[in-house]
Formats: sequence, structure tokens, C-alpha cells
Amino acid sequence: MHPPVHTFELTERKTSQVREYVEVFVVVCAVTVAALYVAPTSHLPFGIVYLIAVVTLSMRVGLGPVIFAGLFSALMWDLFVIPPVGSLAITSFEDVMMLGTYVIVALVTGRSNARVRQQERTERIREQRASALLQLARALAEAKTFEEAITIALRQSDQLFKGRSALLLVSAEGQLRPHGGAVELYHDEERAAGEWAWKQGVKAGRFTPHLPRVTGHYLPLLRARSVVGVLAIYLPAGAVANLPALQDLLDGLAAQVAMQIEREQLRVITEREKLLAESEKLHRTLLDSVSHELRTPLAVLSAATAKLGAPKEANRVELALEISTATNRLNRLVANLLNLNRLESGTLKPRMDWCNLRDLINDALRNTAEVLKDHPVTVTIPPGMLLMQADPALLEQAITNLLHNAAFHTPGGTPVRIEGGIRRGPEPAIYISISDEGPGLAAELKDALFVKFQRGRQALPGGLGLGLSIVRGFVTAQGGEVVAGDNPGGGAVFSIYLPYHTPETVPEE
Amino acid sequence: MTSPEKTSILVIDDEIQIRRLLSNTLVEAGYTALVAATGTLGLKEAAYRHPDAIILDLGLPDLSGMEVLKQLREWSKTPVLILSVHGEEDRKVEALDAGAEDYLTKPFGESELLARIRVLLRRPKPADEAATARYGNIEVDSLHRTVSLKGVQVKLTGKEYSLLRLFIQHRGKVLTHRQILSEIWGADAKLQTHYLHVYVRRLREKLEEDPDEPVYFRTESGIGYRFVG
Repeated sequence: MHPPVHTFELTERKTSQVREYVEVFVVVCAVTVAALYVAPTSHLPFGIVYLIAVVTLSMRVGLGPVIFAGLFSALMWDLFVIPPVGSLAITSFEDVMMLGTYVIVALVTGRSNARVRQQERTERIREQRASALLQLARALAEAKTFEEAITIALRQSDQLFKGRSALLLVSAEGQLRPHGGAVELYHDEERAAGEWAWKQGVKAGRFTPHLPRVTGHYLPLLRARSVVGVLAIYLPAGAVANLPALQDLLDGLAAQVAMQIEREQLRVITEREKLLAESEKLHRTLLDSVSHELRTPLAVLSAATAKLGAPKEANRVELALEISTATNRLNRLVANLLNLNRLESGTLKPRMDWCNLRDLINDALRNTAEVLKDHPVTVTIPPGMLLMQADPALLEQAITNLLHNAAFHTPGGTPVRIEGGIRRGPEPAIYISISDEGPGLAAELKDALFVKFQRGRQALPGGLGLGLSIVRGFVTAQGGEVVAGDNPGGGAVFSIYLPYHTPETVPEE
Repeated sequence: MTSPEKTSILVIDDEIQIRRLLSNTLVEAGYTALVAATGTLGLKEAAYRHPDAIILDLGLPDLSGMEVLKQLREWSKTPVLILSVHGEEDRKVEALDAGAEDYLTKPFGESELLARIRVLLRRPKPADEAATARYGNIEVDSLHRTVSLKGVQVKLTGKEYSLLRLFIQHRGKVLTHRQILSEIWGADAKLQTHYLHVYVRRLREKLEEDPDEPVYFRTESGIGYRFVG
């Protein structure tokens, strides 16, 4: 849907010539009748009345009607006012002088008034065109998208020139392509005219010397160095060519459209460059941190296996433990990278099903048993079973990551609490919160907590800063949210909220 | 050559290190190990050597593990253990529903692997059909359809009893939600997983020491349940 476009039309007041002649005729007749009845004896002052009538008329009507007014007044005056009434004969010299002066004055005033009026009219048209372009510029500036701007411009063009307008743009492959349909452009000759306008940078088609037999008028849209497109205007077959008369308006409109296209091209280029720079930066960060994160456990593995292979007696149990820790770390890293990839590629489709909250917590605890072994863990959930809608794998991973963080960022011996339940209210939700008694969340970090590759300044070495971004990604994918806060007794709390649905009751046997 | 009294296990995996590691582990545990690097070779090997069990990697270069499994199931009932990676729950469920016996998520430990293999190779012993059988603290009398925990009789409803029987029949093996639902509630109930969760919870409340930390009725997240007795 396009927004409503405010277009307006050029108005040209065309008072019909016939009406003006009738007006003149009526006025002159009225003056004559008045002369006959009011003061049939004093004919000279009535010459002045006629004169006033003609001068007044000259301000209202065109040149032709004015001259007609002059001549017709002269005739009427001579015929009915100047004695002998009813005859064209003039007896006194004064009357001849009067009549002569009178005709000349009528002609001169008529002419000059007509010229003034013509100038006014030109002025008005120029003003209307300027304001048309101004309004167009304003509408274009307000347009939110390129498409919207183009629609506005084309509709304005339709209105102004009483035809249909279409746009041809240069495609990425360097071809001139209709932007939005125009049936005419299915014809080869029409397309050829459009191509001509594009390649030569001159107007082509109807009303031009180039390929004038086609129906469309094609205007090249010129910017500094190139032709960015072609504006095509199709007038009805019988239309009188008022197009050349509106040439300056047409050129102004074409300039506006060309500017829009250029702006769009620049926007696309800037966007692409920004995206490229961003992805390059991300790529570098990823590569840097991943290679660092890979190297540490790999170094441990290679050292430990070298020791195991050496003839000298080594503490095998201790080495096996080191190897196991290193492989766990590698495993977690790969899992996080794969999860990140699933999130970013947009292929993550949660498979929602009924799950038992406690089972998910147990699984997450099993995944983190190793890192949590120095932390007393308590689980508090309502008695009985809590069934919830979730993607079990995603939620388990989210809880696992939160538990891993709680274990990793707090001193050994401090407790980790897991709480779960239903938050009643207009939008009931299942919550799972994990609180610790560690150093808590640094204030400056709170905004960036869930951003990937962001790690706390005081964070211990190890880790990519992917954990929380994955938690958020996975929880959001299931229609929930995750919030971080401070534990009233010190430490951090992370809570996952997922929409709660009451399961159907299971039929009794 | 395979000696008749020895049990042979075929490993189909494209990674040479995994093949080597698995066959070492299997040989050390007293099995005969057969290996195949591709799905096509694996199917041939299965046809000619009649292994007692097959370990199949789901991600093979030529035929997908799924395809191998489907072709194999057209003519063979040899138990298959699927090897898969984390986060492929859908594929695991698909493979299990297509006739694989069990699955193992990489990376896995040796003891886990051998335990799974033992379950795979278990023949239905007459004991299973005996009137009473014991699984940990749980005793089941199939003749009288009674169950007792540590000698105290536990009352189970008809559905609960059928569910327990199904678990016992497949003990040690994973059962997908779909498999359990269609067996106990019929083909129409395949998507009503919450029925299943509710009934498993009831069994846990009646038969587990701590229903929140079950020992017998284990959850396989996103896949199904496994009874370990």
C-alpha cells in the first residue's frame, strides 16, 4: 500500500470568448438604453459614460472583446445618442473629434490592459509551476522510502501532464529496466526510444525529433556524470501537445526524480559499505577470540599427551583430568559457535513441546556438574510437576549457559540458587531464575550483557562472551525474555520468562 | 575371521580416528570389530558379514546415515546404535522412529558406549517372561499384574501398568515420545506428549525415591524416556 499522495493540478482559467462578447454586448446596450431614457438631450457626457464602460470592460475581457466594445460603443453612440438619432450621420465637428478620440482611447486602453492581463496570467502560471515543484520537493523530502518518493513523483507527473508516467531505471546489470509496470514498454519501439534517451542523454519519442512516432515522451534523468534513468510520459492519443509548453515544469520534475534516484543509489552504496565494515569487524573479532580460545585447550592437550607418551613415569590421573578439562572447554566452545551460527543464520526454529521443568533443570545441572562441584546448588520449584511449553534443547542450553556463568564468575563455595514457578497475572509466565552470591553485575556492563563478544572488564580469562547472547537468542526464539538484575543479598540474578500455557487435563481412566 | 562364538559389531563412520578408536574399544571389550568408511560399504558389510549390532554415524559423506538405516531396515533387524552430535534432536528422533535402537551423542565416554552396546545385544531372556522380575527396588509380578517397591505393594492404574511394562520390555533403551504414545494411547495420541509426562510423573511418584531426581525413569530431553533398572 502506498500512502495517500497529495497532488494538485495547474489551474488555467479559461473564460470563454463568447461569454466575453456577450458581456460586452449587454453592457454597451445597457449604457445606450440608459442614455436614451435618462438624458436624451445631452449626448456629449454620454460619450464619457461609454468611455468609462469600455475602459472598465478592458480590465475584464480579452483584447478582441475590448476592440469590439470600442467599435460597438462608437456605433451605438453615433446611432442612438448623437443627433440626429437613428442615423449614422454626424453633423458637428466636435462630435467627430469626440468619436475619433474615443475610438483611439478605447483601443489603447484595451491593448495595454490586455497586455497587463497576459503578463498576470504568465506570472500566475509560473507561480503555479514553481509551487507545484516546491510541493513536490516537500512531499519527496517527507517520503520515507525510495519507493514512496517515486510513487509521489509519478502521480504528481500524471496529474500535471494529464497522462500516465513511468520510470525506467538502470539495473545492477547495467540494463535499462521499467520500474513498476508500464504496458507501453512491452513494445520494442517504445523501449528503443527509452534506450535512446538513456544512451544519448537527450529527450526522445513523441514531441521530439528522435523517434517521434512512438506514444511516449522520454526524458533522460541527468545527474552530474551519468543518466540515472528515464522518465516516460504517455499522453492520450488525441491529446494536444501542451507538453512542450510545460517544458520547464517537466524539466524541474525530471530533476527532482533524478535527485531521488541518485540519493537512493548513494544510500544503497553507504549501506553496503557499512554492512561490509561491520561484518569485517565481527569477523576479525570472532577469528581473534576463537583462535585464542582454541589455542589454550589445544596447548594443554598437546602438552598432556606428550607427557603421557614420554617414557618417564607421569601422573596419569592428573594428566587425564587436564585432558578432560581441556576437551570439555573445546566442546563448549564448538557448541557455542554452532549455536551462534544457528541464531545468526536465521534457521533456528524452536520445536515447542510440553516439557517437565524439573527435567530440564536436572539436565542443565548434569551438563554443569563439573564446574558447579564447588558450589552448593539448591533447586526450588513448586511441588508436583510443572509442565511448560518450550523447545527442550534450547531451554536446556539456556539454563546450562546461565549455570555455567554462575559457577564461573563466582568464588568457589558460594551458593547458586535455581528457582522456578509460575508468575500469575494477565500474562502468566513460567520463570526460571538463577542467582549467585558472586561480585554481581558491573553497572557499566548491564547494557552490553547480552551482546555477543562482550565480556566484563574484570572477567576471568577464558570464554568468548557468547554465552549470554545465546541465552537471549534461544529464549527470545521461544517467545520469552531474559532479564538480569542484582541479587538483594549481593550477586547477580538472571531470570528467564516464557509464556505459560495451562496443559489440557489428561483424561482419567 | 569371525569366530562363531564371538559377537561382531560393525562400525560405519567416515572418520578414520573414530573408526580406530571404536574398534580398539570394542576389541578390548571382547567383541569382533568390523569397520566401513562409507554408507555403501557399510550396507555391503552388513549383508555379507551379518554383524550382531551396527554403530552408524548419522553424518556420512555418500549416503546419509538415515538412508543407510532405511535401506538396512528393508531386509535386516540387526540392532543399530546411532552416533550423532548435540543439537540434532530432530534427526535422532527421526532415526529412532525409523528403526534405530538407540543413540549416542558425540563426544561420549567408553563406558557409555559399552553399556549401550550391551543393551543392544541383549536377547529376550526367559527371565523377562517369568512371573516375577526385579529391577532395582522394583518388583513386577506379571502373572498377577502387581508391582511392589522394596516389598511393599504399589497400586498402579491400568495405563500406568502398561507404561511400566513397555519400559521394562525396552529397559536400558531409549523410547521416543511417539513410540510410547502410539503404544499406550494409540496412533491418534502421538502429539499429546503431556499425557506421557503426566503418567511418567505418576510412575516416578509411586516408584522413585525422589520423583524430582529420578533414577529409573530418565528423561531424554526432546527425545523420550529411558528406563534404567
